[in-house]
Amino acid sequence: MGFQRTGRRGCVAGRRQVFAAVFLLAANTHVQNAAPGGTGPRVSQAPMQTAVEFTDEAGRIVRVPQPVRRIVSLAPSLTETLFALGAGNLLVGDTDYCDYPPEALSKPKVGGAINPSIEQIVALRPDLVLATKSLNRRETVAALDRLGIPTYVTDPHTVEAMIASTARLADVAGVHGAGAALAASLRERLAALQSRLNGEPARSVLFVVWTDPLISVGRDTFIADALRWAGARSVVESPQDWPQISLEGALRLQPEFLVFSGEHSEAEQRNLEALAQLPGWRDLDAAHEGRFAVVSEAFIRPAPRLLYAIEQLARQLHPQAFLSPPPPEQKPADAPAKPGLAGQTGSLGAPRFLEGRAACAR
Amino acid sequence: MRPLTLKRVLWDCAVLLALLFLVVVVSLKLGAVPVSMYGLGRDLIRVALGRSSELSSEYRLIVFDIRLPRILLGVFVGASLSVAGASFQALLRNPLADPYVLGVSSGSALGAILALVAAPHLHLSSLAGALLTPLFAFLGAMATIAAVYFLARREGQIDSGTLLLAGIISASFLSAVIMFLMTTLPGRDLRGMAFWLMGDLSTPLPASYRWLLAVGFFAAAGAVYTTAADLNLLLAGEREAIHLGVDIVRVRLVVYVAASFLTALAVSVSGAIGYVGLLVPHVMRLLFRSDYRLLLPTAALGGAIAVVIADTLARTVVAPTELPVGAMTAMAGAPLFVYLLRRRLT
Amino acid sequence: MNSPAHDFPGSAAPFSAAGADGETRSTNDYAQEGLEPAGTRTPRLSVEQASYAYAIRGSEAPEFTLEATSFHARQGELVAILGPNASGKSTLLKLISGTLEPLSGRVLLDGFETARLDARTRAQRIAVVLQESQLLFPCRAWEFVLQGRHPYGRAWRFVSDEDVRIADNALEQVAAGRLASRWMDKISGGEKQRVILARALAQQPLLLLLDEPTLHLDIGAQVGLLENLRRLAAEHRYTVVVVTHELALAGEYADQVVLLHRGKCLRVGSPAAVYQRDLLEQVFETRLTVELGPAGRPRVSVLGK
Repeated sequence: MGFQRTGRRGCVAGRRQVFAAVFLLAANTHVQNAAPGGTGPRVSQAPMQTAVEFTDEAGRIVRVPQPVRRIVSLAPSLTETLFALGAGNLLVGDTDYCDYPPEALSKPKVGGAINPSIEQIVALRPDLVLATKSLNRRETVAALDRLGIPTYVTDPHTVEAMIASTARLADVAGVHGAGAALAASLRERLAALQSRLNGEPARSVLFVVWTDPLISVGRDTFIADALRWAGARSVVESPQDWPQISLEGALRLQPEFLVFSGEHSEAEQRNLEALAQLPGWRDLDAAHEGRFAVVSEAFIRPAPRLLYAIEQLARQLHPQAFLSPPPPEQKPADAPAKPGLAGQTGSLGAPRFLEGRAACAR
Repeated sequence: MRPLTLKRVLWDCAVLLALLFLVVVVSLKLGAVPVSMYGLGRDLIRVALGRSSELSSEYRLIVFDIRLPRILLGVFVGASLSVAGASFQALLRNPLADPYVLGVSSGSALGAILALVAAPHLHLSSLAGALLTPLFAFLGAMATIAAVYFLARREGQIDSGTLLLAGIISASFLSAVIMFLMTTLPGRDLRGMAFWLMGDLSTPLPASYRWLLAVGFFAAAGAVYTTAADLNLLLAGEREAIHLGVDIVRVRLVVYVAASFLTALAVSVSGAIGYVGLLVPHVMRLLFRSDYRLLLPTAALGGAIAVVIADTLARTVVAPTELPVGAMTAMAGAPLFVYLLRRRLT
Repeated sequence: MNSPAHDFPGSAAPFSAAGADGETRSTNDYAQEGLEPAGTRTPRLSVEQASYAYAIRGSEAPEFTLEATSFHARQGELVAILGPNASGKSTLLKLISGTLEPLSGRVLLDGFETARLDARTRAQRIAVVLQESQLLFPCRAWEFVLQGRHPYGRAWRFVSDEDVRIADNALEQVAAGRLASRWMDKISGGEKQRVILARALAQQPLLLLLDEPTLHLDIGAQVGLLENLRRLAAEHRYTVVVVTHELALAGEYADQVVLLHRGKCLRVGSPAAVYQRDLLEQVFETRLTVELGPAGRPRVSVLGK
């Protein structure tokens, strides 16, 4: 057996390991030094543009270069809003889930709303990124901040707030006229709807986001507010955004209607019938009497299309308020006609009519 | 008879280091946005020569400000977790020990949740805001370390059997608290927690914190390395180790504090990335040796390589969507774990 | 100074042992430290009225007591601590090894109290062979034996040539040289026992302590082990203390027997002196006969109850 001469002294780490560590640390330093200032380099754009400061709905101060030429949207509702404002041509990137209007599908994708690729966003060289507090992560916004990319965050909790947010977005994106016009028309529609529903008692409803587990909406969400505008009242009083409630809790509340949002199709109708047979569900008066209301998925997006969905729901809950000739229908211009159950009262049995009108205080 | 020599340690480390370097360069190239190898090579050379101002702006931002920091973070996190895992396996005399078994990650997660909840109410600058979550996570981890230490203390020293039990109980308790908080607090601030709990490297860190990470790693890993020879003996039996001159009390304390500190550092910035601390030491034992004087450095390098590869995959497999790196390590780790079990964890 | 053939203590100089880095410590070194070297005449190991009690927390009565026990052992002697289970043998062993500090009395190894030595020095002077313990990650036999050199190393030191030579030697001493490159979890019980003994020898101790070393061995291996121990003690001037309940082996191989029964030391002396029939029958609670063999060693035969 041969033995090798070895050094007697031990050593913490190999010398080469130390060199490599130094290299990596040096690279680390470079990264820091490459940034002129503390928060990272600015995305280089055309020579100095004017920048306007806005305070967004999360209380952050955002410096947006004007004019805005390239926008990336990180939420489907913001994509829709941009198109509604006529600024769709400024959109250079959106999320995988931005599907309305159809033009949004053809825009370059940056990933999901929760986990977009920062690299991809940077590669699109946006002047402005739009995000919303209810869907996007704080970390994503922080990352964009550190790279010096202006990010505007919205956070509407009511329908009115959504309308105001839309008007502000027009200013931020530099399409000033469109914002005021759109906001005005939306408010008109709301006013018209309110006058129609004047005096109708608010229906108690359970807004079902998911059936198993049973998830509804919290009282501070814009959805709850939208329900109020549609002449309904959500029976769930939780401060959480998407509270999970038990079926027994729903039974105790015994809402007058169950409201679902989503795709409309024959299959959906059959699903609702099947749902009404399930144990627990069939004890809900609304379920076994077929008092379902189905609205388009626009109901859960804080975008202008929301008003269409509110009107849709109001028709189902208060059909008698719509018997008299309506004011001119105002459907959003680019909304495709949706076949199926939308606008019809529950699929089982004849439409329900209420006897008389109870006076009610709104 | 081929006893472990310094030369052997250096050589094996050099091989792994070269591999790590290669992995880092390839990872810099890959991503949602294509970067050419030529352009990358050219820019790396410019950086090495100090001519960073000549870098083309596209590469500069994406490669050096997004990818490189993330990769460096992955290097330190992977190295920390692997060293911590190997240390706990020796300390607890249990091949199934990983860095989280003593509850450090749960305490860290709790700190992170508290930071996410508190952040909107404290009006912080962007820099302080970015530091808040890692800081709270780190403090949560240290608090857990102290609590478990005092629970496990008997007659003034750490008792191995009690340590494992104390750690598991703490982890369990803290997880329950976390679950409670996550279901009762308003959800909007906690969306990020799902990513954090899986392990996620996408959150950028201020450079100052990166330095802290590097210094902390070398200090703690160095401390553990001083007990490497003792750990070898500890694995042969606790009483035998005492009779061979190992100062068990000191060794246990040093290893416990240093390994927990490493875990705290890693978890505070990346969440709980699983399987790395458990499996990398075993793989390194298979490829190299069980001797801790070699295992500790090889595990560190192996862990760095593993996490960088996993993170690169997480960024690229379903680009532009990004997966959390913990999902990747779990997907690769579980089958690897089964394979190692069948080889009886030699 | 040590010549290569005498790596182990007990060479011509009255007290020399390998210290750190393979240097030989001469008597001068000890004089500088204010210590007195022991001569070959005075006992190397002195147990003087050492006693111990394990206390249950919070209660008055101690759980187990080892009452004051005394005996002395010289270089080259093999002492058997004999007794049935739960007689206090392991406790006495722990007192000798310095793991426990005696409640009263003291245990001296070459004039130093074993319990007061620091772990490292103690490991350089006392080697303990315990009952088989779990090896968590298997290693090769030579790696195992090299662990015995740990008390002589600095914190980050890698193994030196000297260490390798000593380890090699140790394996030869127990006739396990050919086992060197075998994996520890693949060799037989007897072979493993020899490798463990080699590790103890690699510590270059003055005192070898073994706790029930024959438990898992067949009779051939048992005898082989004891033969080995006796030879090592004689050739290399170790003091060997073996804890056992094997009457026959102790009678045949021990120079001195310490008989324990329920925490009391009943007798200390040569096997012939200790193996009195009445005494043994009382301690082991079984009928025996004792005869003296040709070499003056007692032979014990068990009769039925």
